[in-house]
Amino acid sequence: MDVSFDGVRYTYPGGVEAVKGVTLAIPSGQRFAIVGQNGAGKTTLVRHLNGIFQPTEGTVHVGDWTTTGHTIAELSAKVGYVFQNPDEQLFARRVIDDVAFGPRNLGFDLDRAEALVAAALEQTGLSAEAETHPHHLSLSERKRVALAAVLAMDTPIVVLDEPTTGQDERGVRMIATIVEKLQSEGRTVIAITHDMDFCAENFERTVVMAQGEVLADGAPSEVFIQDAVLEKARVEAPQLARLADALGWASRPLTVDSFVDSLPAHRR
Amino acid sequence: MSTTLFDNRKSVIHRLNPVTKLIALLAIIVIVFAIPLWWVAGIIIVVIVVPAAVISGSGGRLLKLSLRILLPILLVLFIVQGLTFPGGTTVIWQWGIIDITSEGLLFALGVGSRIVVLVLASMLLVLTTHPGDLMSALSERGMSPKFAYIISSTLQLIPAFRVRADSILLAQQARGLSLKGSPFRRIKIMLPLLSPLVLGMFTDVEERSTAMEARAFGSTAKRTALIPVPDSTVQNVSRWVLIVLALAAVATPIVLGLL
Amino acid sequence: MIDLADVSYAYPDTDHYVLSHVNLKVEPGTVTGIVGASGSGKTTLAKIISGFIPHVDGGELSGSVVVDGATIADVTLSEAVSHVGLVIQSPFNQISGAKFTVREELAFGLENLGVAREEMAERVTAVAELLGITGLLERSPYALSGGQQQLVAIASMIIMNTPVLVMDEPTSQLDPGGTRMVFDVMSSLRDAGITLVVFEHKLELLREHADIVHVLAESQLIASGPSRAMLADPRLEKWGIGSTRFTAAAAAARDRKLLSKDAELPVSLTDAVPEFRAFAAKKGA
Repeated sequence: MDVSFDGVRYTYPGGVEAVKGVTLAIPSGQRFAIVGQNGAGKTTLVRHLNGIFQPTEGTVHVGDWTTTGHTIAELSAKVGYVFQNPDEQLFARRVIDDVAFGPRNLGFDLDRAEALVAAALEQTGLSAEAETHPHHLSLSERKRVALAAVLAMDTPIVVLDEPTTGQDERGVRMIATIVEKLQSEGRTVIAITHDMDFCAENFERTVVMAQGEVLADGAPSEVFIQDAVLEKARVEAPQLARLADALGWASRPLTVDSFVDSLPAHRR
Repeated sequence: MSTTLFDNRKSVIHRLNPVTKLIALLAIIVIVFAIPLWWVAGIIIVVIVVPAAVISGSGGRLLKLSLRILLPILLVLFIVQGLTFPGGTTVIWQWGIIDITSEGLLFALGVGSRIVVLVLASMLLVLTTHPGDLMSALSERGMSPKFAYIISSTLQLIPAFRVRADSILLAQQARGLSLKGSPFRRIKIMLPLLSPLVLGMFTDVEERSTAMEARAFGSTAKRTALIPVPDSTVQNVSRWVLIVLALAAVATPIVLGLL
Repeated sequence: MIDLADVSYAYPDTDHYVLSHVNLKVEPGTVTGIVGASGSGKTTLAKIISGFIPHVDGGELSGSVVVDGATIADVTLSEAVSHVGLVIQSPFNQISGAKFTVREELAFGLENLGVAREEMAERVTAVAELLGITGLLERSPYALSGGQQQLVAIASMIIMNTPVLVMDEPTSQLDPGGTRMVFDVMSSLRDAGITLVVFEHKLELLREHADIVHVLAESQLIASGPSRAMLADPRLEKWGIGSTRFTAAAAAARDRKLLSKDAELPVSLTDAVPEFRAFAAKKGA
């Protein structure tokens, strides 16, 4: 499902303008990442997708809907949103109940809901914790419960707000696998992240935001070479891009394989 | 997000020692409730509360906030007492079976004027005194730090938890929960969502108390305060005068045989 | 400065030992990094070093814990916290709730200790400047974003000036710029003689700022070493910790005989540049 932002501006009731005219079209099935400093307006922007915020100016389209015409609950059938802080999302006494909450609200029949819940727990490595109280889990596990709860809603669009924070290596890999799987099913993945390596390796398009505006938009390989933009947005390039830069290379490989492949060419 | 009603200005009223303001408030309340004459309350409003509000610069907000509290109370009070006051014989207005008696209205005026003083004066204290300053001032006068902590943290954490409750509700709407329908239905939906938050609060309190210990909350040293509490001899004298006035007010009706 | 000998611990009402036979020695004036997968017991170990286990949480603790000369089990919690400070994982819970501005929040611990007003004011100013939060001093601690709250939480412990400071994932809510700043602050505290123990996932920054790194896995401190050697250790994969892309790229280059087998694997950018530059300088095969 396509989504688009057309000239979106958002001013908080206090008067702070967090989004200053953003226009973006995200086609169906894209893996789309937004990077930028804390306070750059990333979360404010994506919260327009499920109607938590309505634009002060401009419009937001989700499929053939304009978000202004729909409630958060209605939009939830199209947009799954994983909050950054799981403690702002989880409420049930058992992991499985929390994960089943979305599918139940969306009125899925029992078989489908059960299958979705089981699959979501499996993908997030939580099958063994189905009966556990979320409060007894670690922060990184609670974050994965929050992710599973949204995966189980089977929405065409999935929004992830800082999915990898606090995750160990295994957790980050699990999330990367999920992103890939979502795309293979034709679903759109929109993620906010501070983890540039995760971004470079798993997303086909990256947008850099600073002070409510989009400064760069393109494939990670096109974005992470724009030093002036990265500096202005105070974004650090992925590790291997920084290494290539330090070595004086013209190209900026983003994965281990592409870096090693380009090595021979850089022998003097 | 503002967590208090405090209206940050630099007036003389704002800069008074919080304890002076607290004693003034208590004295005023004691006086108007001890002396059962409506014009005493009237004089206090005109001579003390209104000028103080004007000087503080917070008069506008005081009016707005107080009206919101007072209007419904006063309306109900005058209607009910005007109509149903048992000793009412002097009918000043009649319509069908409804009699409004002047005794009833006078009684309503007596009670109403006190409520007006109570609300105006309390709100003025709240608007011109930062709760943190009030706590520091009371701690300085020997209130236990644990008690001060309980009061301050309640004032602080309730709004903080309200924010969290809002976000949990929002998150459930984002998972397809519809909050449409009667208020009763909404409460039925919201209760199970928010009960874990309350339980979580207790777990958080445990962790928070751990963190507090790491910052020497259990220390037995004599505590100091970062922000000095302003005070003066004039204020000190005034506080004693106010206490004496309040005591006198309690004695007056007895002495004058008004009771 | 820190000496844990044969420490084992099980939480109340469980017979599962989260940590078993842990030994840890930390030299004064160093930064020690501790890495471990989720659930490896990092938070538990942080609480043991800082005395909250056994003084607050119950459970079964054995072995000896000595920090800054104090045997933690034998002193009161009040005394323990004068030797060692703990930055807990959740900044929301580190904020006391007792104070209405960040300025007073930072001074809270010093007020409890009875520090003189002028000195408090100076220390508040200094720590706020150190962490770049001067602009937040008059705000309510609860009106801040998660990242800002995390900086306030860290500052509220640094200001206590304990000889030992333990930090449990102190940069989880910060952006890369904020994270770098916090690590730089750790280094400057070390230079001022403070001993730091930091539990973190961010391997590149640990390499740059930690002197020694320990690995927590299988309920034990299973390995340790200087930061570069330890963080490039291939066994980290098995322990669920992973490696930086610098390490991974150099290892892959070695496998393809593009780097010599004797080259020490890099962990950070600074390590990697000379290794690959040396390679580039060599004549092509």
